Amino acid sequence: MRIETIREEGARPAHLHPDDLISAKGVSVVLARQQVLRDINLSIPEGSFVSLIGPSGCGKSTLLKVLAGLVEPTSGGVSIAGLSPVEAARKRMIGLVFQDANLLPWKNAVDNASMLLGIADKSLSRAALRARGQEMLDLVGLGDSAHKRPHELSGGMRQRVAIARALALDPAVLLMDEPFGALDAITRDSMGQSLLEIWQRTGKTIVLVTHSIDEAIHLSRHVHVMGIKPGRITESLDIGLPYPRDLAVAEDPEFVRLAVQLRAMLRASHKPGGVS
Amino acid sequence: MSDQSTTQLAETRLASNWSRATASWLPAAILLLATVLVWEATVRIFAISAFIIPAPSEIARSLVAQWDTLMQATLVTAGEILFGFLVSVVVGVAIALVIVRFDWLGRALYPLVVLFQNVPKVALAPIFILWFGYGLAPKIGLILVIAFFPVTLSMLAGMQSVDRSLLSLMNSVGASQTQILFRIRVPHSLPSLMAGTKIAATLSVIGAIVGEFAGASDGLGYVIQFASTQLDTALVFAALLLVSVLGIAFYYAAEILERIVVPWAPKFSQS
Repeated sequence: MRIETIREEGARPAHLHPDDLISAKGVSVVLARQQVLRDINLSIPEGSFVSLIGPSGCGKSTLLKVLAGLVEPTSGGVSIAGLSPVEAARKRMIGLVFQDANLLPWKNAVDNASMLLGIADKSLSRAALRARGQEMLDLVGLGDSAHKRPHELSGGMRQRVAIARALALDPAVLLMDEPFGALDAITRDSMGQSLLEIWQRTGKTIVLVTHSIDEAIHLSRHVHVMGIKPGRITESLDIGLPYPRDLAVAEDPEFVRLAVQLRAMLRASHKPGGVS
Repeated sequence: MSDQSTTQLAETRLASNWSRATASWLPAAILLLATVLVWEATVRIFAISAFIIPAPSEIARSLVAQWDTLMQATLVTAGEILFGFLVSVVVGVAIALVIVRFDWLGRALYPLVVLFQNVPKVALAPIFILWFGYGLAPKIGLILVIAFFPVTLSMLAGMQSVDRSLLSLMNSVGASQTQILFRIRVPHSLPSLMAGTKIAATLSVIGAIVGEFAGASDGLGYVIQFASTQLDTALVFAALLLVSVLGIAFYYAAEILERIVVPWAPKFSQS
């Protein structure tokens, strides 16, 4: 598998825990004289499912962008399998999914799914790209909608294409910024369940930014709670519920207990966090 | 649902579409007919002389009598419009591409383009005649300066309205600026560009007529000017009618082009 080869290639710095794929050390970000993130330390084990949850303005999206190499930290650093995020992205190790699917309206689903791969790897033929796109659409459960244009797809289906597009790169890590935030509750639940299945089938490391307590507990193995002013990680919570999980997990007493605990943590995170 | 009933449903829908289209045209057609009738009646009742306001019947008679001359003039003007329009689109698109692709050049060019837009370009017609003579060239030049601007502006707006997170996706896989331009920005700008193109089509008609007013030996603008010096007002109106028909034809040609180029545009996507 691809992840293995990357692990062998990358020279792993000594401070990294052997199982950590992503490690952030003392990451701070100042944008327009505002401290958006302060001293973020984060280690994300390979193959895990991690959620970042917090109130608006806690910088969780910015943190995801730092991990993706789209925002340069003002101080501190991030390593992904020993590489900088930008290097990792160039090696197709990072798949991105945003709240808006951002599909190209002039391309059908299969061409949208393979679009980024085509940019990243110019050696691939049209047929190879199509095949890969189709394979990924099958994986996200949209195999028979390959020739539909985005306007013929529902919001949830479009977001599935966006996930397929990220997975087509065969990334080591999937970074998702509120991917289901614009969907209705029922679609949202089924998308979450599908994401869990994709995760278990592919073994990708997933980092999910979310607003939803239920979504965080339903899906992730670890939840990091972020606070505001400045944006920082205030608490971390392990979700001990066994996988595979389905939607019925929400009725589990342990789920309910964790939801209460997480809600209390979130309430505390709304208080500004002192001086730096 | 069986195939047959699906077909029937499709036919019913087609029929209702047709009747809806007719219904939307009908009021306009009735008003037009009424206007023409009132016009005819007014001219006859008050015995207005034909060189001030000719009756519609008079215009029709002139149209038939001068048919060959008018058709020849229409062909000349249509040629100018088409050629001028195509040059405007090519130049307009090229300027927009240069502005977006070459940052420093764009910052130099864009303010000049906007500044130039404020020059009353109709006033350039005599200068173009002076430079290029009485042939096709000054008309093309005039159409170009009048019609390129909406093309450039609409394409720029389209290219610059690409979603930031889509650009983030492209950047994360190391896409070059040229790739982003041709794979994302240009196709993304097409619906907006087509809207600008329709405006350019209309402006091209104005450019051609103004160019012919300023100096020409042929074309509908020339016919209008010549006929008005002869006080042949009916012929002026006949030529005007043909100019309008040309304008409508070019507008709808641009609209058909739009459906071919951007069938995926949001305005066509409501299913």
